[in-house]
Formats: sequence, structure tokens, C-alpha cells
Amino acid sequence: MADQSIAGAAGIMATASEGDRSGRARIVILFLCLGLVLVVLLSLTSGASDASAVGVVHDWLVGAAPGNEMLNARDRLIVYDIRLPRVILGVLIGAALAVSGAVMQGLFRNPLADPGLIGVSAGSSLGAVAVIVLGATVLAPFTSALGTLALPLAAFCGGLATTLVLYQVATRHGRTSVATMLLAGIALAALAMALTGILIFMADDRQLRDLTFWQLGSLAGATWQKIGSVGPIIVLALAAMPFLARGLNALALGEATAGHLGIPVQRLKYTAIVGVSAAVGASVAVSGGIGFVGIVVPHLLRLAIGPDNRYLLPASALLGACLLLLADAVARTIVAPAELPIGIVTAIAGAPFFLWILLRKRGVVDL
Amino acid sequence: MIEARDVSVAIGGKRIVANVDFDMRPGEVAAIVGPNGSGKTTFLRALSGDLAYSGQIAINGRDLAAMKPVEAATVRAVLPQATTLSFPFTVREIVRLGLVGGRSGVLPGEDEHLPERALSRVDLDGFAGRFYQELSGGEQQRVQLARVLCQVWAPVLDGKPRYLFLDEPVSSLDIKHQLIIMGIARDFARRGGGVVAILHDLNLTAMYADRIFVMHRGRLAANGSPQDVLSDDLIEKVFGCRLKVGALPQGNMPFVLPQSAA
Repeated sequence: MADQSIAGAAGIMATASEGDRSGRARIVILFLCLGLVLVVLLSLTSGASDASAVGVVHDWLVGAAPGNEMLNARDRLIVYDIRLPRVILGVLIGAALAVSGAVMQGLFRNPLADPGLIGVSAGSSLGAVAVIVLGATVLAPFTSALGTLALPLAAFCGGLATTLVLYQVATRHGRTSVATMLLAGIALAALAMALTGILIFMADDRQLRDLTFWQLGSLAGATWQKIGSVGPIIVLALAAMPFLARGLNALALGEATAGHLGIPVQRLKYTAIVGVSAAVGASVAVSGGIGFVGIVVPHLLRLAIGPDNRYLLPASALLGACLLLLADAVARTIVAPAELPIGIVTAIAGAPFFLWILLRKRGVVDL
Repeated sequence: MIEARDVSVAIGGKRIVANVDFDMRPGEVAAIVGPNGSGKTTFLRALSGDLAYSGQIAINGRDLAAMKPVEAATVRAVLPQATTLSFPFTVREIVRLGLVGGRSGVLPGEDEHLPERALSRVDLDGFAGRFYQELSGGEQQRVQLARVLCQVWAPVLDGKPRYLFLDEPVSSLDIKHQLIIMGIARDFARRGGGVVAILHDLNLTAMYADRIFVMHRGRLAANGSPQDVLSDDLIEKVFGCRLKVGALPQGNMPFVLPQSAA
């Protein structure tokens, strides 16, 4: 018996790493951390204004250069009050969208679930538009009581309601039908957009212009105040997600089996739904509809490090932040001095990618 | 000790299991047999805590209805008939999920090596790095069994027996692996655990089970040792075909029984 276990242990030593991708995942996460630092620095030092902002970042990292204070004051303003909030917001929203996508895919047990595709973002938009258009009239008590939190909160409620309805419709006896999920998502998005349309119809000219640009998705107009209102929501939601990782892994085997493994499945599902709705709602509230981050990022990472959510979720947060900052850099510079809404950039890059996933999975994913 | 009293399960207003009494002691392999649609799987799902039921179910004296998922996960592991995945997990990653909620019962630090040991037991040495979705049905079934074994690796934990609930564990396996898997169940019981298995092969059942529970139209038709239960009359009544227990084939027709395994 003892001999057997020693022999067994020796055999195990040789094969311990086979099929275990956690080492590779850790390395990828390390590289993504470095990548994010680089992209953040790149974003801080590039833009429509001249390049002397490099000096500010340089000062910031290694200390102020003497005799340069006047120049630095203006540049500092550009970096601290315009670029830095925009970069922080980009990081938060990129991470929130990518992690929400990954969590939703785990929850629905399907790689095609994405808050943008299945109507969650549309529901959030409806909530946000309602506050923008009706904030001064019908919803005045709501907006005055909550101040800057009113917008993200309304977007959260819209997203939450959509996700709950979607889950009820698409899941029967613990099995989620992808076809039902996507079609129900289309129906819910259409309904949300129709209601949004009614609100837009009621909006005045100034609101109309705001809404149009907001709906296309943009990080422009990022302020410290906006970060103050949605930052805590996103950070809180992101901080809760790692606790779902093990449960979401077990859920890949089906709801019943996850329960057999000791996972409190109902609690897991509702935490995931509330977390995703909060993250997506907060993102939509400040930046409008930025699509495809939630589907492209987790998919790329699954190819690299596998579907283990313990690594997939943090890696998604990092890669989502990187990609959104890069997309924002493209949006800011490609038609400079004007600016393209970032939602257009992510859709132009993301939609063909989504089609590519579908082509690859044709015949493999059972719709 | 598993005690079920007067258990009934209704799904969508239709009664699938009616007034079933079920008892088993640690050290036993209990087989549930019966025709398709007789309520075997539904009863096992009630025993696993998946379905609402009326009546009483107690595992080791604890009321199942009052158990939290993680408590239940430490006293029993469940093998479903088939498991499909929509993400590209490796075999090792799947087996490791067995350790997610319960307690394997091995020494601290040995958990990391348990997936390889479990895979070795189900004759899947060298499969750890393969993708689950690329395996055959029988191989997938054995990967799932390895996962289940990880969850309750020690048949007895803290002096209390633990249980394997297996829903058709050998249905998609070749004869060699049927014998290996049933041997694992037998061994788990010998070391103080308990096994509840839904089986279709009556020869395999007679060979490995201590006790057979025969289900028919949602009710318990008979239970007892293989010698007591497997009779011509019962088989005709339950399965609706006239078969003779112990009759040899005519002439030189070959037949292969698991009992002949060396």
C-alpha cells in the first residue's frame, strides 16, 4: 500500500502540469498588467494637444524638472483634468464590460452571451435616457434626491430588469436555450429601444444632441465628477466578481451538477445578475453603448488561457481596459481634431470578429 | 445510512415517483433497476436534492431538506447520465472541479495531485491535457466519474460514511471499462462508503449489487438481495418480457457474462 502510493506520487510528479493551464494564465495576466501600464501611459501622453504632456507624466513619475513650472501648469491641467479622468474612466468601463461579458457567458453557459447583444445594454440605455429626458419633470423627485447617482442607478435598474426577464424566459429546468436567449434579447432590445424612441421624441433640441452622441458611445466628457458617481459602483461590482469564479466554473457542468458540488446556485445566479447589471448600467450611464468588448475579450482569452474563471475574469478586466483605451486612442486621433464616438470603433472591429466566432463555431454550438 | 420514507415526486403536476421506501447501509452497493420511464432517475434526483419531494429523506441521520449544498457535497457525490460543456475545459480542469465545494478527505496539499490519481483509477492515464469536448462519450463518462471520485475520495470522513450516486455509470462503456467502474464502486463500498447506482445490465447488477431496488411505474416493485429479487416472474411483471433466470443459451450459441472475468 505504501509502495503503491510512493510509486503513484512519483508518476504524478512527472505529469502534474499536464492539462493545468494556471501557470500559463498567471504569465498572461502578468503581461496584461504590463500592457495596461504601457497603454495608460500612451493614452496620457497622446492627444489633440501638443506632446509636452510627456513632461507632465515624466514629472509625475520621476519628479518635477526645475525651471519648467509655467509650461507644466497648462499641461498639468490637460493631463490631470482631461486625459487622466478619461483614462481612468476608460479602464473602469473596459474592465466592467469585458468582465460582465465573461460572467454572463458563464451564467448562460454560452460563449455568445454578451450584455450588448442580448439587450441588457438597451435596457440600461432606456433607464439612462429616461433620467436625461424626464429628469427635470416627471422624475424630478428621483433625480433631485439621488443627484449624480440618479443616472447610473436608473441605468442599473433598466439593465437588471432586462437580465431578469431574459433569464426567466431563456432558462427552463436549468437549461438555457441559446436561440431563445438571443431571440428574447432581440425582442427586449427592440422594446427598450422603442420606449427610448418615445422618450427621444419628447426630448428638446439640446437633449436630443446630447442623447445622440451619448448613444453612439463615447468616453469624451469624462470628468472627475462622473468617475465619482460611477467609479464606486463599477469597482464594487468588479470586486464581487472574483468570488463568483469557482461557482461559475462549476456551473459549466450544469446547474444540477454545480449544486451537487456544493455551490449555492441560486445565490450565485442572482449575485452574477445583479453584479453584471450594476457594471453594465454604470458603464452605459457615462459612456452610452460600447458594444462587443464583452464578447471579443473573453473569447480571445479563452483561446489563450482556457475557460477557468479564476483567471479569465481578472484577465478579461485587464485586456478589456487595454482594448478600450486603444479604441479610444483610435477614436480620438483618426479624424482629429474631431473625434469619432468610441462605440463606432468597437463595433467596426468587434462585429466582424463576432461573425468569425460564429463561423468557427458553426455546427459546434447548438443553437 | 440513507433512509427514504414514502418519497413521492411530481413534475409538472404528474406523479413520477410514488411512495418509495429506500434504505441502505454503508458498505453496500445498492442498484436501482427498472424499465425506461419507471422513475429511477427522478428518484435519484430527489435523493440528490435536485427535486422537491414529499416524504422523508435522511442521509447519515440528517434531514436532506435541511442540508446546505456544501453540507450535502461533503456526504455524497453525484454522477449524472451525461454532461455536455460549452467551454473548452481540459480533462484535468474538469476533474479538479470535484474539489470545488466538498472535502476530498486526503491530507492537506495532496488535493493538487488528486485529479491524476482519479484519472488513473478510471483508466484515463495521460488524458489530463486533452480537451473534454474532443473525447468519446465513454471517455467523457469516465472523466466525470473521476471528478465525482475526487469529491468524496475518502469513503469515510470524520467517522461518517459517504456515498456515490451514479446514474447509469456504465451505459456508454465497453465491457472492460464496465468491469473497472463497477470494481471502483465495489471498492468504495468495501472501504466503508455506500453506492447507489442505476443500472440496466441485470448480469452486472447481480454480480456487483448487495441489494436491488426494482422500480416499476414510479413505485418500488421489489427490493432485496439479487438471489431474492431476480426471478422469472418479477422480470416478466416489470420488464414485460418472458426471460428465464439462469437459463443457458441453446446449442453452441456463445454468451459472455461479466461473472467470468478473471
